[in-house]
Amino acid sequence: MEAKPIPAISAASAPYWEAAANGKLLLQYCDDCSRYLFYPRSWCPHCYGGALEWRTASGRGAVHTYSVVHAAPCVGFEADAPYVAAVIDLQEGPRMMANIIGCATETVRVGMPVEGIFEARGNIHLPQFRPVTA
Amino acid sequence: MSARRHLRNEPAIAAVFELPPGRYPELSTLDLYREVLSRALAAWPLKARDIDGLLVPPADMAGDRPDILMHERFGDELGLRTVLSETMFAGGASYGLMIQRAALAIADGRAAAVLCAGAGKFPRLDEAGRRSMSKIFHPQFELPYGPTIPAMYALLATRHMAEYGTTPEQLAAVSVAARAWALRHPHAYMRSRGAISVEDVLQSALIASPFHLLDCSVPCEGGGVILVTTGELARRISGQPAYIRGMGEFHSHGYQSQTDAFNISVGTREAGAQAFRSADMTPDDIEVIEIYDAFSAMPIICLEDLGFCRKGEGGALAASGRILPGGDLPLNTYGGLLSYGHTGDASGLSMIIEGALQVMNRAGERQVAKAGAALVHCYGGMQADHSTLILSREA
Ligand SMILES: [Zn+2]
Repeated sequence: MEAKPIPAISAASAPYWEAAANGKLLLQYCDDCSRYLFYPRSWCPHCYGGALEWRTASGRGAVHTYSVVHAAPCVGFEADAPYVAAVIDLQEGPRMMANIIGCATETVRVGMPVEGIFEARGNIHLPQFRPVTA
Repeated sequence: MSARRHLRNEPAIAAVFELPPGRYPELSTLDLYREVLSRALAAWPLKARDIDGLLVPPADMAGDRPDILMHERFGDELGLRTVLSETMFAGGASYGLMIQRAALAIADGRAAAVLCAGAGKFPRLDEAGRRSMSKIFHPQFELPYGPTIPAMYALLATRHMAEYGTTPEQLAAVSVAARAWALRHPHAYMRSRGAISVEDVLQSALIASPFHLLDCSVPCEGGGVILVTTGELARRISGQPAYIRGMGEFHSHGYQSQTDAFNISVGTREAGAQAFRSADMTPDDIEVIEIYDAFSAMPIICLEDLGFCRKGEGGALAASGRILPGGDLPLNTYGGLLSYGHTGDASGLSMIIEGALQVMNRAGERQVAKAGAALVHCYGGMQADHSTLILSREA
């Protein structure tokens, strides 16, 4: 884990990572439960239905909580430290982890509106978030 | 509700033993187990034929090759023939859940004397150690974002602060109290460092905001063993046992970013409520509190979710002085993982041993005057696994 890890894509998550490479954040939607899911799964963890539909998310959300990481977990992150590890409330309902980038770490607040962007890393594009500017 | 449902056979902690937390560079994890068991069994009036249960965690969980058949290895070394034996693991909650499993087997009449043992070396924070510790994060949806264990717990602290106005000073008060208690424990790892102030905590290096170095538990090595027996046997062994009056258990999310709430420890609330129901007690009945404190914010959140104060008032409670030596809500009376030491895979043992020692009136300099009932709450994983025990002087 010297370098920043590059996620190994699984069967359940392949559409998510393919869409990310095209600048889109996809979420699974369970029709039976009428709700979005995160992270990508093989079945709905509420009703166990397997017919999950991929939908394009707005990419909008708000910071639910965060930590400014000063002691990095590996060499790959040391140059970034301090950096923000956050959990985002997506507009569609679920929460996902991401870094908040494109702003000073001390400006990040709980509740701050954020929008998705994509960080190229190795052979994948990683969904990330930055403050909404407009 | 009528009177509580008594557990049959009065399951109790009859005896405890723990190595002083520290550095044991000459001992492997298995050697630490042998040190723990040989010293405890030399002191206790037990032969192999008296022991009918053995519960242990896997060895070296954070290493590259965990040993997942420890109960067979040590069952054989101890010459045991048991009715209950298992290698079980739920992180820091492992030992709390072992005590529950042992107590239920005793109440069921299947077992009479169960050893719950563990030893751990805190994972080295080198490359290999960090790689193995990263296994607790989701490989695709957490790990790429550079999380650390302190940062994952900091997510709870940050949300709690935003919702309730909890302050860094209030978090620091938990570390200050832990150190004050550690100064009264002859074996506490940080005892020789002396007292600390809120200022000391806030001026220590930031690790993952809002946690400074002194908001984080202190890594070391150690191990211990708890003997759970029938009440009758426990009274013969110790005179005053710590009876297991209440038990609760809950398991929630697997990954911290997917927890149901960041301002509440849902598993603590559920396990705690179950323990109080089974003991037919309320928080008012508890005189000593031991809460797993990997980070300073967790006792604040857990005190609320266990019902010792209203939601959002845990920070004020921590800073009130009530959790300090001499206070009316003595918390982590051995110094906690924050100042007694976090012994890696064995960390969940120390607070149960302390709860038992307090109830048995054997806690020496740090003995709480009125310690009729102790609550011990442990969690494991990224606070996914929860165990609450209520120990009592009376069966
Ligand atoms: Zn569903």
